[in-house]
Amino acid sequence: MATIARPEADRSVRGHPSTLAVVTTEFYKSGRRLRTYVAYGIVALIPIILTVVLKTNPPGPPGGRDNGPRFALAYLGTHSGLLIPAFALRATSEFLLVIVVALFGGDAIAGEASSGNLRYLLMRPIARGRLFVAKFVVAVLYGWIAVAIVVLVGAVVGGAVFGFKGLDLPFGFFGGVQSASHIVGHLAIATAYVAWFLTTIVAFSFMVGTMTDSTGGAILAGIGLWITWTILDAIDSLGQVRYFFPPHWSGAWAEMFTSNHVSDDMIRGSLLTLGYVILFGGIAAWWFRRKDILS
Amino acid sequence: MTEPIVRIAGLSKQYREGVLAVDDLSFEVERGQVCGLLGPNGAGKTTCLRMLLGLIKPTRGETYLFGEKVAPGAESLRRVGALIETAAFVPHLSGMKNLELWWKAGGARLADADFDEALAIADLGDAVKRKVKTYSQGMRQRLGLARVLLGRPEVLVLDEPTNGLDPGEMREVRLLLHRLAEAGATVLFSSHVLAEVEQICSHAVVMDRGHFVAAGSVATLIGDAGSVYLEVDDLVRAREILEALPTVKRVDSEPPGLAASITGGSRAELVAALVHAGIGVETVTARRRLEEAFLGLVEADR
Repeated sequence: MATIARPEADRSVRGHPSTLAVVTTEFYKSGRRLRTYVAYGIVALIPIILTVVLKTNPPGPPGGRDNGPRFALAYLGTHSGLLIPAFALRATSEFLLVIVVALFGGDAIAGEASSGNLRYLLMRPIARGRLFVAKFVVAVLYGWIAVAIVVLVGAVVGGAVFGFKGLDLPFGFFGGVQSASHIVGHLAIATAYVAWFLTTIVAFSFMVGTMTDSTGGAILAGIGLWITWTILDAIDSLGQVRYFFPPHWSGAWAEMFTSNHVSDDMIRGSLLTLGYVILFGGIAAWWFRRKDILS
Repeated sequence: MTEPIVRIAGLSKQYREGVLAVDDLSFEVERGQVCGLLGPNGAGKTTCLRMLLGLIKPTRGETYLFGEKVAPGAESLRRVGALIETAAFVPHLSGMKNLELWWKAGGARLADADFDEALAIADLGDAVKRKVKTYSQGMRQRLGLARVLLGRPEVLVLDEPTNGLDPGEMREVRLLLHRLAEAGATVLFSSHVLAEVEQICSHAVVMDRGHFVAAGSVATLIGDAGSVYLEVDDLVRAREILEALPTVKRVDSEPPGLAASITGGSRAELVAALVHAGIGVETVTARRRLEEAFLGLVEADR
């Protein structure tokens, strides 16, 4: 058995940790989880599968019943591999990515609480607000990385199969003429927009995670909210009330690729997201600062 | 007069469900004391320790460490090592990485942590490089004790620290706490295992149903009567004989001897009965056990 040295009070007097130090620690912890790799693996797989499907069974020009933005992007993707990520983003952003970001948001606090580790984090001289910010930032970053993976894998695989080139379709057709740099610029904006509007779900799952020790409950709450909004948004008779449901604006970015311009709906969707992030984040912060740590 | 290291002042906690877990509790722990917080299950021990560490907000009253009022994330927590209920870790990381991240998250330098000393005490060997999810409960608890000792804290707050440990490990923890106290650390630990408190603590605070019952040195609380410790040459027969005596309430095994709780009668009566049966009696030690004192205090309070 080792000898015990006398406690040294003078060594223990240090300042509070910086928020960046806490963010770094939390980022490392999440990055080493198998769950993170599995989630990223699945989102990376989708663009690959879509590319294979489009290559083996290319779609015809949009028209008739198949005239939505998703079909347009699928068609355009076969003419420029740089549009495969847009198609993959469209295919994943309204469900798969919702699940993945809800996972990161819901697990951030509730995961620590359910394992009993939250109390050990808060026994340190770390202000609760600081830990809250660090956890939220890390959850958001991991959600954004998932979105980026879809786009990057789609770009690499799509480009390799259909070419890293611009679009040059007959005048008046969906997409028309777009240079490669133009498409890449639009892709960057689309990626940022999708990542941003999904932050609503991260914030909501995170908020629920501060109120419960059940990780699954927090994740399902985020997914459930999205599904509820989507169902309500489909009810036309709700009229302008639907403007308050994020799914109403979730596909606004796709117009950039089919109509070659940035839609005002993207601005509306971004502002609505900001409102929800502030609302959910504010409630979560208020709750977490007052929470009795009983787990 | 020096400021107590730990001060609990008029502390109460009522949960939203209406349960009054701690009710106007006050006590102090001086530097260098090993103080046991005693109470039956549900007495409010864990709630009290969580309030001391800023994890639970008191309904009324305050807690102080080193003379400073404790709030969540208080700077004084840097000088405290704590283990509350079971040790918990990030399961997918190694024991060593858990300790490093936990230490760094508090804004401290790795060089100040004294990992080698803490790990030597935990005695986990190469297992410290394995993921924590592969650990047994005992290994987790030992890693938890290593975390408590990182940075040589001045105060240790331990809630049932021997939970999940086997008898050998429990003995190691008791010896460790003794040595820490000798080295100058102040220890506040809760337990409902009274024999453990009796062996480890210099002082004790007794609480029941959330409120204060008694406090003082263990010797003062135990008082002057109650039980006899005997070492004999035939433990099995000695136990049979003692259990048959009307003045003996209970006989417990305390290797290498036996402890007999008595009500009335004299110790000489016990020794005479054993000798008469041809059993060699090597040691007789009179003592009043903390358990009896504790039960007496709690019953008197109710």
